[in-house]
Amino acid sequence: MSDQQTLRRTLDRWFIPLTVVPTALWVLGIIVYPTLRLLWSSLHSRNAVTGDRSFVGLQNFQQILFGGPGLFNPDFLTYTGHTAVYVGCSVTFSFVIGLGVAMLLNKDLAGRGWLRTAVIVPWVLPYVMSGLMWRWMFQPQLGAINGVLYQLGLISDRIAFLSDGTMAMIALIIADVWVFTPFIIIILLAGLQNVPKQLHDAAEVDGAGQIARFWNVTYPFLKPSILVALTIRIVFDIRALDIVWVLTQGGPGKQTEVWASWLYRTAQVFNQPGQGAALGVVVLVTTFAVIAVLYKAFGDSPYQ
Amino acid sequence: MSTTNDTLVGRVRSHLGLSTDEEWPAVVRERLFAYAVLVLYVVVVWFPIYYIFITSLKTSGEVLNTPVTFFPHTATIQNYVDIFANRPFATYTMNSLVVAVTTTVICVTLGTISGYTFSRFTFLGNKSLLLSIVGARMIPPIALIVPFFDIMAGLGIYNTQIALILTYTFFNLPFAVWIMKNFFDGVPESLDEQAQIDGCSRWEGFVKVILPMAKPGIAATAILAFIFSWNEFVFALVLTSSEAAQTLPVAVSLFVADDFVDWAHLAAGGMIAALPGILFGLFFQRYIVSGLTQGAVKE
Repeated sequence: MSDQQTLRRTLDRWFIPLTVVPTALWVLGIIVYPTLRLLWSSLHSRNAVTGDRSFVGLQNFQQILFGGPGLFNPDFLTYTGHTAVYVGCSVTFSFVIGLGVAMLLNKDLAGRGWLRTAVIVPWVLPYVMSGLMWRWMFQPQLGAINGVLYQLGLISDRIAFLSDGTMAMIALIIADVWVFTPFIIIILLAGLQNVPKQLHDAAEVDGAGQIARFWNVTYPFLKPSILVALTIRIVFDIRALDIVWVLTQGGPGKQTEVWASWLYRTAQVFNQPGQGAALGVVVLVTTFAVIAVLYKAFGDSPYQ
Repeated sequence: MSTTNDTLVGRVRSHLGLSTDEEWPAVVRERLFAYAVLVLYVVVVWFPIYYIFITSLKTSGEVLNTPVTFFPHTATIQNYVDIFANRPFATYTMNSLVVAVTTTVICVTLGTISGYTFSRFTFLGNKSLLLSIVGARMIPPIALIVPFFDIMAGLGIYNTQIALILTYTFFNLPFAVWIMKNFFDGVPESLDEQAQIDGCSRWEGFVKVILPMAKPGIAATAILAFIFSWNEFVFALVLTSSEAAQTLPVAVSLFVADDFVDWAHLAAGGMIAALPGILFGLFFQRYIVSGLTQGAVKE
């Protein structure tokens, strides 16, 4: 047997380890190890002067969750509320709009490819650019929104979008919906294409109305896609910092501060990595809890 | 209703062979409705992009003038010239390119070979290994800014392109493995067998027969990994501090000072940061859609 053949045999025998071990090691180093470090950091506190870390047990968690006069840390409650409103509204609106657009795009229209392309673009732009773009849109004197409203004569005083807490939250939600609706559209459109057309036609022949057809024919096939779209949307919104940080930076005051911006501020701006890491653990656990709940509640589909 | 509209409608009606008092057929009404809504949606969605684009072409003076103009009086590329002349935008662009391309190459390479093996072989722990790799993509990156900062500082690579590349593989690699596995699942296994019967080794069969079949999957993975890396902001913000490693998203955010935003130049910088996304979105939409679908729906 020639050397070359031996080499070929050896390489083939080691095919699985050669193709899997590099990835497994990479994942170990770049995902597993940092996650363990996160847990370690959350149990330690850094001395601001010496930079030494000392073990403090669950003190960081205690500070974040229960620090302050009441039972819970009031900041924690407030920012959790903001996060819930932000995620809840953004996901709901983008889902409703996304489902509607996806169903229209699923029709056999000429130029559908172009429309789909035009619809997807916001999602592939850098989130930072989109966040800043919306900050520019909402700019009170020079922004396009007040510009349009004012020039159409719909308002006489320009609206100070970003210096009002509620308005700033609405601005954030609009930006978020703008960025992420294309994602919902892509996923749901793929799901809609799995719905057998004959079944739809049969239901129509049987006299089922639009709504009845959606619930009885489309929805069961679409359910897995809806589950994926919602899960990823919710999970990605809980962690989303980009848009918040450049559009409102949690302001005015702390009226749009969400978990992600709180975490960044705590860890980087206030230089408290221990508490930042503890918050990281909270975000991590919440993420997997949300996934578990969603899959428990909607995971079983008769068509899967 | 205007006369032009009437004649247009009239022309469509006569084209469809409808008499004046006949109602539109349901199909036509449905489609017209779909077009109307979709076109309106596209216009609303593209308006902010249009507005920031024309802002990037306005003179700094016009940007600060009220009432706001929706067509620039004087279109100029001066803002683009300025940011490359007065700010290190060439360096930022280079950093973005190096980081995004290297991350993409690493993730596509590892994702392709591992994705293939996960698709074809059963081996000890293959299911749980795949599951943990895929589960890893659900770990929120924001949660890990503290450990990643510590690790990169500890390795002495804080504020380098390497730190960003390593970090970006963290969310792109699991995704790449998963998309590629799903693509290989769609490549018939009989092709592997045929290659082996024809005397190819495992590796030869993989490289010569299977890889060419997986080109669309590789393209989809590469485009998505590139876009995700190019657009990433949070880690770039946490792990860099100067133009030695700062990427375009961070550079654009630097136009925001505490009390003043240089909108004209920010808009120009933003357009440059957005360019690959817009181009990929317009010309490779097919791959983005197929990659996302393979990556997300096939659970």
